[in-house]
Amino acid sequence: MNITVPVSWLREYLKTDVAAKTLANYLTLAGPSVERIQKHGTDLLLEVEVTTNRPDAFSVFGLAREANTILNFENQKSSLVHPKGLNTKLDPDTKDILALDVLIKDKSLCPRFTAIILDNVKIKPSPAEIKNRLEASGIRAINNIVDISNYVMLELGQPMHTFDFDKIKGSKMILREAKEGEKLKTLDGQTRSLPKGTIVIEDGQRLIDLCGIMGGENSQISLRTKRVLIFVQAYDPIRIRKTTQALAFRTDAATRFGKGIDLEGILPALSRAVYLAKKTAGAKIASELIDIYRHPPAGGPKTIHLSLQKLDQYLGITLEPARAARILTLLGFTVSVSAQTITATAPSWRTQDMNSQEDLIEEIARIYGYHRLPSKLPEGEVINEKESDLSKVISLKEALKFLGLTEIISYSIISKELLALTGVQPLNAVELANPLSQEWQFMRPTNLVSLAAIIGQNQNLHSDMKLFEIAKTYIKNGDNLPTQNLYLSIALQNADSAKQNFAFYKVKGIVENIFEALGREVKFEKPKQNPLFIKDQSADIITIGPERSRRVGALGILSPSITTYFGIDVPVAACEINLTTVYSLPTTAKNYRPIPKYPPVIEDISAIFDKETLIADIIKEVKKAGAPLIKQIEIIDIYTDEKLGADKKSITLRLYYQKSDGTPNAEAVEKIRDAIQIELIKNLKAQIRK
Amino acid sequence: MNPKVKEALDKSLALIESSVDPNKTYLEIFGKGGIFTVLAGEIKNIEPQNRAAFGRDLNSAKSQIEQALHIKRSSLVVSRSSGFIDITAPGKKQKIGHLHLVSQAIEEIVGIFTKIGFSLQSYPEVDWDWYAFESLNMPKNHPARDDWETFFVKAPASSRYGNQVLTPHTSNGQVREMERVKTFTPRSPKGEVGPIRMLNIARCYRRQIDVSHTPMFHQFEGLYVDKNVSIPELKGTFDFFTTNFFGPKRVTRLRPHHFRFTEPSFEVDVTCGVCLGKGCRICKSGWLELGGAGMVHPNVLKAGGIDPQKYSGFAFGWGIERTIAMKTELPDIRLFYQNDLRFLEQF
Repeated sequence: MNITVPVSWLREYLKTDVAAKTLANYLTLAGPSVERIQKHGTDLLLEVEVTTNRPDAFSVFGLAREANTILNFENQKSSLVHPKGLNTKLDPDTKDILALDVLIKDKSLCPRFTAIILDNVKIKPSPAEIKNRLEASGIRAINNIVDISNYVMLELGQPMHTFDFDKIKGSKMILREAKEGEKLKTLDGQTRSLPKGTIVIEDGQRLIDLCGIMGGENSQISLRTKRVLIFVQAYDPIRIRKTTQALAFRTDAATRFGKGIDLEGILPALSRAVYLAKKTAGAKIASELIDIYRHPPAGGPKTIHLSLQKLDQYLGITLEPARAARILTLLGFTVSVSAQTITATAPSWRTQDMNSQEDLIEEIARIYGYHRLPSKLPEGEVINEKESDLSKVISLKEALKFLGLTEIISYSIISKELLALTGVQPLNAVELANPLSQEWQFMRPTNLVSLAAIIGQNQNLHSDMKLFEIAKTYIKNGDNLPTQNLYLSIALQNADSAKQNFAFYKVKGIVENIFEALGREVKFEKPKQNPLFIKDQSADIITIGPERSRRVGALGILSPSITTYFGIDVPVAACEINLTTVYSLPTTAKNYRPIPKYPPVIEDISAIFDKETLIADIIKEVKKAGAPLIKQIEIIDIYTDEKLGADKKSITLRLYYQKSDGTPNAEAVEKIRDAIQIELIKNLKAQIRK
Repeated sequence: MNPKVKEALDKSLALIESSVDPNKTYLEIFGKGGIFTVLAGEIKNIEPQNRAAFGRDLNSAKSQIEQALHIKRSSLVVSRSSGFIDITAPGKKQKIGHLHLVSQAIEEIVGIFTKIGFSLQSYPEVDWDWYAFESLNMPKNHPARDDWETFFVKAPASSRYGNQVLTPHTSNGQVREMERVKTFTPRSPKGEVGPIRMLNIARCYRRQIDVSHTPMFHQFEGLYVDKNVSIPELKGTFDFFTTNFFGPKRVTRLRPHHFRFTEPSFEVDVTCGVCLGKGCRICKSGWLELGGAGMVHPNVLKAGGIDPQKYSGFAFGWGIERTIAMKTELPDIRLFYQNDLRFLEQF
């Protein structure tokens, strides 16, 4: 909550020679923060942020009180002067006593209700000082009576309302909850449909007040007003907040009522308003004081016992008990000190906020000055324990960067249209109950649609994109929290990747690199149904290892229904890998193998195969026929050409013949080569090329 | 010297002299059928009494030839490597990608906090209301909840944990971490736990968007719980972070603030990098707001099953985007998530 305070007004209650800038600095370090100091004519304005637990400081006088405490502790000369008229006698000034009949339907709505009727009121503009102060604080001056209510609210923090008493039909007020469908035209001329349960007042015929938020237009002060009802209350903060939220309508008064009111500050505020009305409008009190206060806090103000040992432990120093007690006394607490304990009772304006020892520690520590406390690193024991995967993710990201990939971080919330592209039904997706817009409605079950969107967005300026993102994905899991696995997703776009095989092998190569970096072995299998990819141009990634094989991801060419949605007309190769699962699996053990003493014989074999003959099958045949001399097989060329025939491909294999007790001789190599060629011809219909 | 050897030596030196390919010349001399090889083969035709002298001559000739070859090789290499190279022309680089600014900051933050014993933990980003609010001393209908513009998930509420929410901060990790640590210290004496030094970094979500807010952002949350934890230790930790992250000239300060899950609560400021605290056009007052922190509220410890009489702690949760913006003077936080490669490739 921010409040703008003219320094000249503050100085009416805070008598000190300290300069405004110094004062602002003291406040910031020990109390509410002064965010800005601005010039305003010959005056200065302080813009102060008051935290929600300190409604007592959300006023000119409240800030003066706070500043006075801080200055006193800092040994700066300062004293506090109360506004005039806080103890004004509220007895009738006339013999003709007016009356107001008040009925509060539900006592919990309004813990304290006070009102008084003034007669003989002369409506006119406020004196210049009041007008100027209101306007400097951002409130438009209207007339002397309305201005008093705003002025006292800014001054003391207590909102109040003034009615034209003659417009209250039947001199009667019923305070109750609004019923379904009730409406009220408020002072700003807006007709508002009130949510059920809103606190309102009716005068026996009609609604006249949207309590705590804004008065009704039908009972407002006008130039002809003679008799005024001044009206000062506290309301149930929760209901006030609910109404302001439901109406999306907030006023200064509502903010204050929503944070809670000092019940003991109500009568002084009323007195102050009456004092000002007498002074500026010639008003006379024409009724008894109405004060319905049925819920004084149970058991009186709370007393808190603070262990001195605990205080010192928090502060990390030894603070003299008398010094700690002085701080509390300066803050208005009633304090007593014993050998091990400080016992303190909060002043009425702080009772809501003071409940525990820690609350007192905060008060003492902040006024003592956080800057006066030492600074040291924690010394306690460090436990070496299992950590999350984050440090592994960081290393992986570095590896991906050096593989030439650029990281994307995109919103995990996607639209219904993007969800449709993933093939996940809305019923199985995690949906937001209160989305900010249609663009952000579902938690995404895959990151790939976002990567495709980003490729579409950037494709006019970039012809070779290699993007990745590591983020959690979200899948509905019955009534439990969603399944939230961490996925690495990659998408590659290249203007030259019109040849789909090229794009596919590029992403496959990266996936193979990644698993080398991750230290896990995987194989690639025909995919299960996966709407993200083209069926015949994708594969599932399956782990190999001592544990049960598990599907940890998929790769392939993204389905055209996704790419065309984003206006991409080249194939996009992509993959996604479930890192949560991968990291949960053990890394592949690397065992020592003796370094061969004798060099291998290396030979290439080229052969023509049917296009659909799998490389995996070719390797399997070569291994079988070549055992035990063949130690390593590499595919060094895959080549298609019309001359070979449209359904043919030429493959060049590099074979390593090797023994532990010598280099194989030409005879041995020839024998194995022949065996391999025979098997390839027989089983895979190969044509060996010379 | 034996005349045959002399003859072979002269012939070899002449060959070397005119050679352009020392390896080929070497083979012409020492290879199969080479001048020297043939000559060496003749040793068997020498009378035994003269063989020693012949051998010595051979060795002497061999070392002269090798010497000459070496000189020739060097001279050829030197002449080859004396050509002009334009060292200002660009090198042949491998194409390296880029990490997102947020990841770079995470890496740095992790490095700083793990150095002082914080362990990395990770908690759900869609979590129960209980962990996101209620266990953090924010009962239902509490006004403090209004400060978090929270996204709710369409899912039935749990009778025990309430609604599912997108975590509006990383503080949902606090009570979860207390529970986790309790499960692996069951052997300790009754009521003994931890200590806890947690760093939780996650995506967070709030219903707001403007120059300084995006509906998704990242926070890093620190939680330290032990016996006798004090405000000076919190200060020391922040000073360590600031010096390492922002540089040795920057200092921190604490201002009083209010959060439901800490008591006392602080706002942590860092001196402005431009004016170092004097006040300038960028920072106004000399200080930039880093984020909230405080001593863990006893109700939060209780919610995590830790006895606040025995233990105390501190916690902080800061926005990563904001922290980067403070370091790089980025004017609009939304740039992080517009995913324009021209922006991402700058870093």
